[in-house]
Amino acid sequence: MKNDNRNAIIAIEDSIVQVRDLNLFYGTSQALFNLNFDIPRNKVTALIGPSGCGKSTFIRCINRMNDLVDSVNINGSIQLDQQDIFDKSVDVIDLRRKIGMVFQKSNPFPKSIYENVIYGLRIGGVTEKPVLEEAAEVSLKRSALWDEVKDRLHDSAMGLSGGQMQRLCIARAIAVSPDIILMDEPCSALDPRSTAHIEELIRELNGEYTIIIVTHNMQQASRVSDLTAFLYEGELIEFGKTTDLFTVPVKKATEDYITGRFG
Amino acid sequence: MNKKLLKRNKFYDKLAHYVITIGGVAVILSVVAILVLIVRVSLPLFQPPTSEIVDHKITVTEPLAVIGLDDYQENVFTIDQKGVLSVFSLQGQETVPPVDLGINHDAHIIFTSRSRTEYSLLWDDGRLSVVGISFRPVFNAEGTRSIEPQIAMQGEYASLPTGSPLLQSFFATSVDEDAPGTVRVNLHQDNSVSIFRTSISESLFGDVEETDESFVIPAYFETISALALSEDGRQLYAGTGGGTLLHWDISAAPVLEDTVPAFKQPITALGMVFGSQSLAVGTADGSLTTWMGVRDSDQSTTKKLRRIHTLTSHDSPVVAILPSRRDKSLLSWSAKGELHLDHMTSERNLYNFALGSVSLASLNDRGKGLIALTATGVQLLKLHNPHPEVSFKTLFGKVWYENYDSPEYAWQSSSGSDDFEPKFSITPLLFGTIKGTIYAMLFALPLAIFGAVYVSQFAPPHLQQIIKPTVEVMASVPSVVIGFLIALMLAPFIETHLVALILCFLLVPLCFVGFLFLWHYGQRFKAIHEMKSGFEFLLVLPVILGGVLLSYYVSPFVENQFFAGNFTQYMFENIGATYDQRNCIIIAFGLGFCVIPLIFSISEDALSNVPSGLRHASLALGASRWQTAWRVVLPSASPGIFAGSMIGLGRAVGETMIILMATGNTPIMDWSIFNGMRTLSANIAVEIPEAPVDGTLYRVLFLCAVLLFGMTFIVNTGAELIRDRLRKKYAQY
Ligand SMILES: Nc1ncnc2c1ncn2[C@@H]1O[C@H](COP(=O)(O)OP(=O)(O)OP(=O)(O)O)[C@@H](O)[C@H]1O
Ligand SMILES: [Mg+2]
Repeated sequence: MKNDNRNAIIAIEDSIVQVRDLNLFYGTSQALFNLNFDIPRNKVTALIGPSGCGKSTFIRCINRMNDLVDSVNINGSIQLDQQDIFDKSVDVIDLRRKIGMVFQKSNPFPKSIYENVIYGLRIGGVTEKPVLEEAAEVSLKRSALWDEVKDRLHDSAMGLSGGQMQRLCIARAIAVSPDIILMDEPCSALDPRSTAHIEELIRELNGEYTIIIVTHNMQQASRVSDLTAFLYEGELIEFGKTTDLFTVPVKKATEDYITGRFG
Repeated sequence: MNKKLLKRNKFYDKLAHYVITIGGVAVILSVVAILVLIVRVSLPLFQPPTSEIVDHKITVTEPLAVIGLDDYQENVFTIDQKGVLSVFSLQGQETVPPVDLGINHDAHIIFTSRSRTEYSLLWDDGRLSVVGISFRPVFNAEGTRSIEPQIAMQGEYASLPTGSPLLQSFFATSVDEDAPGTVRVNLHQDNSVSIFRTSISESLFGDVEETDESFVIPAYFETISALALSEDGRQLYAGTGGGTLLHWDISAAPVLEDTVPAFKQPITALGMVFGSQSLAVGTADGSLTTWMGVRDSDQSTTKKLRRIHTLTSHDSPVVAILPSRRDKSLLSWSAKGELHLDHMTSERNLYNFALGSVSLASLNDRGKGLIALTATGVQLLKLHNPHPEVSFKTLFGKVWYENYDSPEYAWQSSSGSDDFEPKFSITPLLFGTIKGTIYAMLFALPLAIFGAVYVSQFAPPHLQQIIKPTVEVMASVPSVVIGFLIALMLAPFIETHLVALILCFLLVPLCFVGFLFLWHYGQRFKAIHEMKSGFEFLLVLPVILGGVLLSYYVSPFVENQFFAGNFTQYMFENIGATYDQRNCIIIAFGLGFCVIPLIFSISEDALSNVPSGLRHASLALGASRWQTAWRVVLPSASPGIFAGSMIGLGRAVGETMIILMATGNTPIMDWSIFNGMRTLSANIAVEIPEAPVDGTLYRVLFLCAVLLFGMTFIVNTGAELIRDRLRKKYAQY
């Protein structure tokens, strides 16, 4: 145990996710060290930190996408609504229905725009056309894509621009009304305009969804998030209100990072 | 230095460009060259017949009774009406001294007929002479060849003591070694027909004894205008001025078998087609048809004359019909001097010469030379029609062959007898190719694709690493080994355990469904629930094995209980389905074994190459692995899977060895999975060793190759087009 970061837990009245003593190993090499923190409900939480510090690894824990990696070993717990998500009795499919995810590289399915949006519903067994169409429209509107695609819903999603694709992925994630949306550097491949679009979207969704966003862009973190966690070499260095963390960082490492002295 | 590097790079770029271009062009050129080569061999099948007038100096002064040409087209022989036989070279010289065949020097020949190499000459005093004329090459001491005529008097028959005077007389020698003898058939002026038969029998002590019989067929009420006698002297046909065709069986006392009043016209000429199975009939309006005895139903044993082929009509009454002695072609000419050569089976009009007037004509025995006596003298023609029996219809359509009860798609290239007519219908071969491919793909596609999906999407990594190379090793098993195994081991095994196999198709899925229920129920047990994903599929293996074993042990009971102890027998008796030991089930297994690795390997690659982002997106949305595989991975990999399937299909279409060994190679057209078939590729392999170069069979086999080429070309082009569309549809960024 490198250091005790229990002090990083800040008082959060209504938390949705509680991370307790989370250690993660890829084979023998440890990637996450003893993480302890709570994530507030219906707020935007940003994860920042230098490349390779374990941000992606951490958010993949929340929807158990790490199960797909054979060598992963996890101890500790992540509580979602008072239920340890690593418990054997948890159905990972149910879990993932509750947690949407947006990837760094947009990955729409090679299907029509419409089919992309309602994919989650379809596999959940929804077949009524009106329900599906309604859901598609609502989610596309929520993700600010509706106006651009409403006339070509049945065209292939492959014809969209990169920014549109990423918003489509967000629409796809929110179409199943998840409790949490995980975003792993959703804007890293986008131009400033598209980035602005998505940031606006995140602010829009704030208050309605719990959003955990990984970003390398400090401005972005400060613009969209309520809380920020700073990870460094697999450890949680500092976690607090975004405004505080960016203005009066407690830890030297945090200050160095946000002022651009490393990473 | 930088400039130098740049130059070098440019040079290598160019070099690579040229090498690659040359390689590509060479590939295309060699494919085209192969195609051109095989097309060139098969093309002469469809070339129209050609002919060429041969110059000669032969002049005839006397009226002729017979004219003929030898096989080498070097000698012409004539018998004039006084009975003088002369042989001329093309320069007009007599090569042997003329032979006087007559005895009574005042007599004239009034009628001639021919049976094989024997000419029967009927004299106006009622006598009949039979003379055999043939030619034989002779080599002298210097090695130069000359053609020598062989003239043999076969018999002299005195005039009949009683009866009305003769109009026509026919003579035939039996070829049946057990019943040697001769037959003479006469048409009298009073319209009656007399038959004289001499049978030669040998007693136990070696004494040769001749028995003579004679019969008279009383005058028919219509005038008999033409007669024809089969070469064996057993069947007699007559045509009347009233348009009726009569048929007697005269192997014993004459029996009138058929009376066909089908012609609205007087029948003016009859002629037996080579082989003496079919009869050609010419009428006064110039129509030319061929007739054959056909059983009118499967049960009946008697045959009735039916019109089988209609050949090109003449524009005036048909005067004479002469068979080719090489194939089923017929030489016929009309009153206005139209000379036709038609092929009966293909109904092709090979030649159509307008010669003004024809008094005599003859084809030589090889069918390559034609001689005709016209108002302007002797006409000699060299014919070139190597494939008269081939037409589009005989290759692809139903053809009514001799000895068949109906038109059929038949492939039969050879048989023991000399006058056998080869049958070249490619349709059953195309059918067999398609059938074999379909059954093989039905078996191989699901297995290969499901296997690929399992290995790429579900199997634990170390299992993946075992399965994939193993399956790929399967691809390197030579097809002759597969053919050998399935033909000699699997085929007999399946034959004895057919019911077990069929039960498998029932019981294995049942066991599987049962297993699914158990599995679902078993989820509440910790051990099962926590089983590492990917391994649950391995549990299915014992289930399938269990199903197979169950079928195996239950089958004797089922067979006894429901199928009277013998399933194939039962099947035959109740639905008339026959069971060949080498059938499509065997082929499905064999071809399947050979194409599964191909399809599997390509599909597996395609599936593995689906970007993991897509899988992750689907899984993160709460899709199960199966849903992900089915809805996201499979469609995205579909172009690759499709390509793999098509390569497998192409392989199955062209695969030869397995088919050759494991089917009976019977060219039948039957969808039954219990029967074999003959495919284009196997057909080529089976027949080519026996096909004389440039013969019809040889060229038809090359045509098969062209078709095979065409089929694979169409499959591949179609596949490429579809794959392109799929690729566009499921394009990945
Ligand atoms: N599948 C894996 N197997 C082994 N090690 C891994 C695997 N994925 C990540 N790692 C290691 O875990 C550590 C954390 O990786 P992670 O991807 O979480 O970093 P990150 O913070 O997301 O970095 P970035 O900002 O560059 O995306 C790194 O050292 C990485 O090498
Ligand atoms: Mg990352």
